[in-house]
Amino acid sequence: MGSSQSMSEEVRELVGKTGFSSDQIEQLHRRFKQLSGNQPTIRKENFNNIPDLELNPIRSKIIRAFFDNRNLRKAPSGLADEINFEDFLTIMSYFRPIETNVGEEQLEHCRKEKLRFLFHMYDSDSDGRITLEEYRNVVEELLSGNPHIEKESARSIADGAMMEAASVCVGQMQPDQVYEGITFDDFLKIWQGIDIETKMHVRFLNMETIALCH
Amino acid sequence: MFLLLPFNSLIVNLLGISLTVLFTLLLVFIIVPAIFGVSFGIRKLYMKTLLKIFAWATLRMQRGAKEKNHQLYKPYTNGIIAKDPTSLEEEIKEIRKSGSNKALDTPEFELSDIFYFCRKGMETIMDDEVTKRFSAEELESWNLLSRTNYNFQYISLRLTVLWGLGVLIRYCFLLPLRIALAFTGVSLLVVGTTMVGYLPNGRFKEFMSKHVHLMCYRICVRALTAIITYHDRENRPRNGGICVANHTSPIDVIILASDGYYAMVGQIHGGLMGVIQRAMVKACPHVWFERSEVKDRHLVAERLTEHVQDKSKLPILIFPEGTCINNTSVMMFKKGSFEIGATVYPVAIKYDPQFGDAFWNSSKYGMVTYLLRMMTSWAIVCSVWYLPPMTREANEDAVHFANRVKSAIARQGGLVDLLWDGGLKREKVKDTFKEEQQKLYSKMIVGNHEDRSRS
Repeated sequence: MGSSQSMSEEVRELVGKTGFSSDQIEQLHRRFKQLSGNQPTIRKENFNNIPDLELNPIRSKIIRAFFDNRNLRKAPSGLADEINFEDFLTIMSYFRPIETNVGEEQLEHCRKEKLRFLFHMYDSDSDGRITLEEYRNVVEELLSGNPHIEKESARSIADGAMMEAASVCVGQMQPDQVYEGITFDDFLKIWQGIDIETKMHVRFLNMETIALCH
Repeated sequence: MFLLLPFNSLIVNLLGISLTVLFTLLLVFIIVPAIFGVSFGIRKLYMKTLLKIFAWATLRMQRGAKEKNHQLYKPYTNGIIAKDPTSLEEEIKEIRKSGSNKALDTPEFELSDIFYFCRKGMETIMDDEVTKRFSAEELESWNLLSRTNYNFQYISLRLTVLWGLGVLIRYCFLLPLRIALAFTGVSLLVVGTTMVGYLPNGRFKEFMSKHVHLMCYRICVRALTAIITYHDRENRPRNGGICVANHTSPIDVIILASDGYYAMVGQIHGGLMGVIQRAMVKACPHVWFERSEVKDRHLVAERLTEHVQDKSKLPILIFPEGTCINNTSVMMFKKGSFEIGATVYPVAIKYDPQFGDAFWNSSKYGMVTYLLRMMTSWAIVCSVWYLPPMTREANEDAVHFANRVKSAIARQGGLVDLLWDGGLKREKVKDTFKEEQQKLYSKMIVGNHEDRSRS
């Protein structure tokens, strides 16, 4: 605030690529510098400086999501070692609120992108399917905060939920049929009708109107 | 009148006289324009001068800090994102409700549960409470109030002198002046409205009442050195309507009432407030409720409807949020005022925090402390937007209408539109994540799982 009004070339590019406004990019850039300790890239260790994140049961999955090549749109699998500001913004853009005046197609596209982000969180080996093992892994992590729950109960919960998902996707299965896993299309089917647009976004405060008060 | 000392008597006399003249002049310059509703533009000039001084002070600090290699800290802001103060249970229930067709009483682990944790994680990465307090980078303009600045270290003699001068001016000159003005304003209001109350009902009484009210509110506005910019004044509320605005501080009432003639709604208090309220109602019909009546929603709605239907009565001023919000967001509007069926005139009020933070955190500061803080700030700068009137549509329910009005206000004032109840401010909001949250979540799932296996 107090710097010149004109946007630099880079900021303009970022606005175009990620869809954030120049103000939001400025704010996020400050945050990026804070997290990276003024370095040009962030590594996994930098996320350890956020105390509130320590209490989140799926923190390792969230942090991993930042370095996931699929989310960064660089490769179909694997993890990056470090990310720069543009990558940071790319991940953040999955949580941008969807504008209300976009067309049906655009809305569908945004929804898919958000769901794909979640899918990648579950599908840790990047094979395009959420297997029973991966599902169990997520449930165990989510329930990891409670020391009284044994692994067995966590497992059985996951198994029950997986069966539920299977029945939605494949219908009734034969007793010896093996359900290989939830594909992305099945995943989309499960989410049909759930309004994730409002659940999966972070709202930015509008700093601009403060200047209008004079 | 003046204490004549054997020595220095001349100096004391001169001092006494000059101070009295100064104060009288100032009072005249302020009260007379207030009576006639004109402005000499003194406050705008004051504001411009202050801005220049702040800019200089900030530059000086940055330069000084660079020379000495100090870390500069940015003053605490409210953060860059709006976090919902919802609890784990509520949100998960909501997500599940909107999705599955299964009955709510047998929930189990669902894929959707991950949403809540994922989003919370993202929010903390974007902006977390602890690390955002200090960020070593460009300093926003410092407004010479040490209460808003963590940087106050000795940077240069000039700056400290300036700050000291600021303190002197604010506490020794502005504060007594403002208290005198406030006192004048309030007493004129009480006396004026009581006197108007003795007049016979008629157009003259209304005329006098309107002008007494306006005059006293204008004096109070000057008592706070409030610099207000009104936008779109052609949309100002008319008789038989309800004026609805977002609420940041008790000053909102004074700000709106100094530009228009409204009927107030509220609970009768004891003490000074009660005296003022009782006097005001003699001059024109405000709607005051006894403490017991406030709980009875039907009675309240009835009286408001009655007032609104009488076209000769003034527009009612209501703050539907029910409590003061910190002026970055608009919380849920209580639907009572929207059920009445009158035309609603929304008003958006936005304060500029640069000159003084107007937000009243009633759980932190009492009313007197708050007013003192206000009166020792430089000024209160705000913008008021009068939005075009809205009416409830044929098949719209009150809640939907309330949300529509709320969005319009939030959009105009640049505030974030939040869906949650302002009452959460007083209750202890659950912290985003503690061990209990995870236990709660797992209890939710396992508890239900056990129920199922038992049945």
